[in-house]
Amino acid sequence: MTKRPIAWALLPVLLLALASCDPFGRHGRDPEPMPESPKEVDGWAPVYNKDEANKQIKSVEPRTIDKGGKIYVKGDTLYQVESGKGIHVIVLKQPSNPQKVAFINVLGAQEIAIKDNMMYVNNMNDLVVLDITDVRAVKIADRITSVFHLVDPAHPPGTGYYECVDASKGEVVGWKQKTLSYPKCRN
Amino acid sequence: MKKIVYLLIFFSTVFTACDKADSGTTSKTTGTDGNTGQGGSLARFTTAMDHLYVVDDRKLYTYSLANSANPQLKGNIDVGFSIETIFSYKDKLFIGSGTAMYVYSLANPAQPTKLGQATHVRACDPVVANDSLAYVTVRSGSRCGGNVSALIVYDVKYVTQPIERNRVIMESPWGLGLNGNRLYVCNGNNGLNVYDITDPIRPVLKKQLSGNTFYDVIILDNMMIAMIEGGTAIFELKADDEITLAARITN
Repeated sequence: MTKRPIAWALLPVLLLALASCDPFGRHGRDPEPMPESPKEVDGWAPVYNKDEANKQIKSVEPRTIDKGGKIYVKGDTLYQVESGKGIHVIVLKQPSNPQKVAFINVLGAQEIAIKDNMMYVNNMNDLVVLDITDVRAVKIADRITSVFHLVDPAHPPGTGYYECVDASKGEVVGWKQKTLSYPKCRN
Repeated sequence: MKKIVYLLIFFSTVFTACDKADSGTTSKTTGTDGNTGQGGSLARFTTAMDHLYVVDDRKLYTYSLANSANPQLKGNIDVGFSIETIFSYKDKLFIGSGTAMYVYSLANPAQPTKLGQATHVRACDPVVANDSLAYVTVRSGSRCGGNVSALIVYDVKYVTQPIERNRVIMESPWGLGLNGNRLYVCNGNNGLNVYDITDPIRPVLKKQLSGNTFYDVIILDNMMIAMIEGGTAIFELKADDEITLAARITN
């Protein structure tokens, strides 16, 4: 009973704050129904996999960096995630002449950490441990299935516009940031 | 109704500074215990005190690495919503979310316990920290929400009550890295800003590096590894804030 009057007394203050923050009354038309989408906007796009062979975690030949993801350094080696696809292994013995030595196929990869010769990486929503003693021939040491929720094939992480999923392009293994034009989906 | 809630949250972030700032020491960044490597400030995985910590959208997961080949899940705890990053420093974890920075104690590494949090404006927000201060970037925009893009300095000396000490407006801040009295802050397609943090609560812009779209950095003594648009760039850090590009790996 006592709380009510306080809330009502605060209301004009809040309304005033609202009015001053939103002079054009934009709050009247977002977030639903979806407003006409912008011509150019930062958002997300699915990363697809169509090749069944990529489902197997293994070292392959170095490949080009398409959309470089998160980075991790141990000793003189740099590991860069290729979002949704795996990990580039790059030796920095000579900083001016980095050498790509291998790529590790790990579907859904977003995150890595390393202790000793063990790499921890997410394979979609599994935690996988890879023995990287020889990065050109990694071995799976352990797998802990479906604990965390790092990859959602249906929706991008976070809010905002995204490129709608097109199942004919394959399985969604991750999301990358992209400048979108008239996107039709919104999280 | 949602807007009102956000406004209330915003008002609650107007911290009052009530004790004098101390000159904090600066030190190494995440994951330097034992034989582990180092990740960037945008990471969701970090290692500390022989454990692996993982954050997803809402939770913090703790794995023992006593046997590094076979991690043991010790537990998971609810942290909040829109969790994005985790950073470890000594016996603490700093977790960044879309609306707050959370600090957890690793007094018992198998069971992190919450010490405090600072609620800030709605935005994307990686964190780095040292003994007395945490540096957080918040970036607004269509993907992250909010309307403030800035580098925020929190006093975390009394870690149960982080206090906002300063706010430096930036164009599009992303990841960041600490090295001694220098703070390197990625500024998206506006390059990278180098701040002198000799006075740790008042970062002074010393240098701006252009030519790349910077997202995150790892600082290793005299080398800076940067996640840039399309790949990685390696820089050498020299005296007098001279930074030279050693190589770009973008294909």
